[in-house]
Amino acid sequence: MAHYIELTPVDLLVAIGLIVIAASISIVLKLGLTRSLSIASARCMLQLGAMGLILKKIFQINTPLLVLGWLLIMLVFAGREAVRRSKTRYRWINLDTLLTMTVSSIVAGGIVTQMVIKIHPWYDPQYLIPIFGMVFGNSLNGICLCLDRLTEYVRSRGREIELMLTFGATRAEAIRNGARQAVRTGMIPIINNMTVAGIVSLPGMMTGQIVAGASPMQAVSYQIVIMFMIAAANAIGSMSIATLAGRRLVSSHGLNLPGQ
Amino acid sequence: MSDFECGPISYVTKSGLKVLDRIHLRLSSPEIVVINGPSGCGKSTLLRSIVGLNRARVAQRRLNGRDYHEKRLALWRSKVTLLLQDAPCIDGTILENLEFPFRFKNGAEKSFSRDQVLKLMRKVQLGHIPLEDPISRLSGGERHRLGIVRGLLWAPSVLLADEPLSGLEPELADMCFGLLRDYARERDAIVICVFHEERLAKNADEWLRLEDGTLHRVNPC
Repeated sequence: MAHYIELTPVDLLVAIGLIVIAASISIVLKLGLTRSLSIASARCMLQLGAMGLILKKIFQINTPLLVLGWLLIMLVFAGREAVRRSKTRYRWINLDTLLTMTVSSIVAGGIVTQMVIKIHPWYDPQYLIPIFGMVFGNSLNGICLCLDRLTEYVRSRGREIELMLTFGATRAEAIRNGARQAVRTGMIPIINNMTVAGIVSLPGMMTGQIVAGASPMQAVSYQIVIMFMIAAANAIGSMSIATLAGRRLVSSHGLNLPGQ
Repeated sequence: MSDFECGPISYVTKSGLKVLDRIHLRLSSPEIVVINGPSGCGKSTLLRSIVGLNRARVAQRRLNGRDYHEKRLALWRSKVTLLLQDAPCIDGTILENLEFPFRFKNGAEKSFSRDQVLKLMRKVQLGHIPLEDPISRLSGGERHRLGIVRGLLWAPSVLLADEPLSGLEPELADMCFGLLRDYARERDAIVICVFHEERLAKNADEWLRLEDGTLHRVNPC
């Protein structure tokens, strides 16, 4: 028997009532959000429903190839989403984000699943998929913020970069300040989250584990590991994308801004 | 003594316009060269091509018998330095704006002298401005003069200057050109300037005119 209260389709219907309340407020206040709220709710239900069915199947079959294949699909979608959300476009952006997400998730997620939690077997989908999902989701935000900040820096302070190059700066020296600012920007959200964790909000994973019946101290331990993992993934991801994008945006011949 | 050679330099725009047509520069120090020509003829492009700040085709860059290939552009620029048009500055204080090149790997062998800074600042009539003041307090003309001070402090073998005197009063322009000429003589360097003032061009060792993608020697009257 499960240690948590199982939800039935009727319970979900009641939850839909909450969306009806939100939609009613939108109608009364003429916010014009009814349509987008309905579409978002429907997409949320369908996407999560499909994910539930897929995960159920993967958990049943439980082979390393299938788990890794699913992680690869998640990785590709996360990379595409990072590019889509970013205001920046340059020729190799898809490859750069994919490389960055691969490196940051393998290092951070790999250490947590194989050396901290020590999952057995090493590909256990019950741990691997949700944990890597969190790494992808958070790296994606860090990469977008970092990329936008870096491009903005090169765009607004391109003359300073050129000035440094004319005085013998290497390409890396000329972009260093911008890359530093961009990495800092990419890391701000996770630092903010860690600062207020437990005071302002209970993080999602911890909430889920407590609801599922885990002891609060175990839930806290997991949450700490996850937050540190996300911080590491964000740091590695931001640093990698700043390095890769920096090389594309500033070459030894000067600025290579998109659209110029 | 410095021997400088750069070229042939060719630059064709994306639309197919030939801006620089196999220009070859060969100069020996001490020398001050002035390049002028009609607006838009490619004077700035030529200077940027010499230092590799564009995609021009440059067959050879050579200084004192040593070749500088594409991978050594940063080192080349530390010896053949361009003062950019409009005198850009970095965000920070006036002192930081003069000091930053000395922190680069290619500036490690050079020493930054505050006394030299104060001497040069006085010469360009900026001596009254505290070095710790933010760069934002300087006017356009003052930034141009600061750019010249930065170049002279850095003391490269070849100093290229893209309209270094624009926006300066005639007396100040004379004085700054005099400083550049003295630098070439005293430090046994080569100075290549792009500007429109024919009055000053006549005082250069060589006066070149860029037209139709090629350089022609002008005989001062």
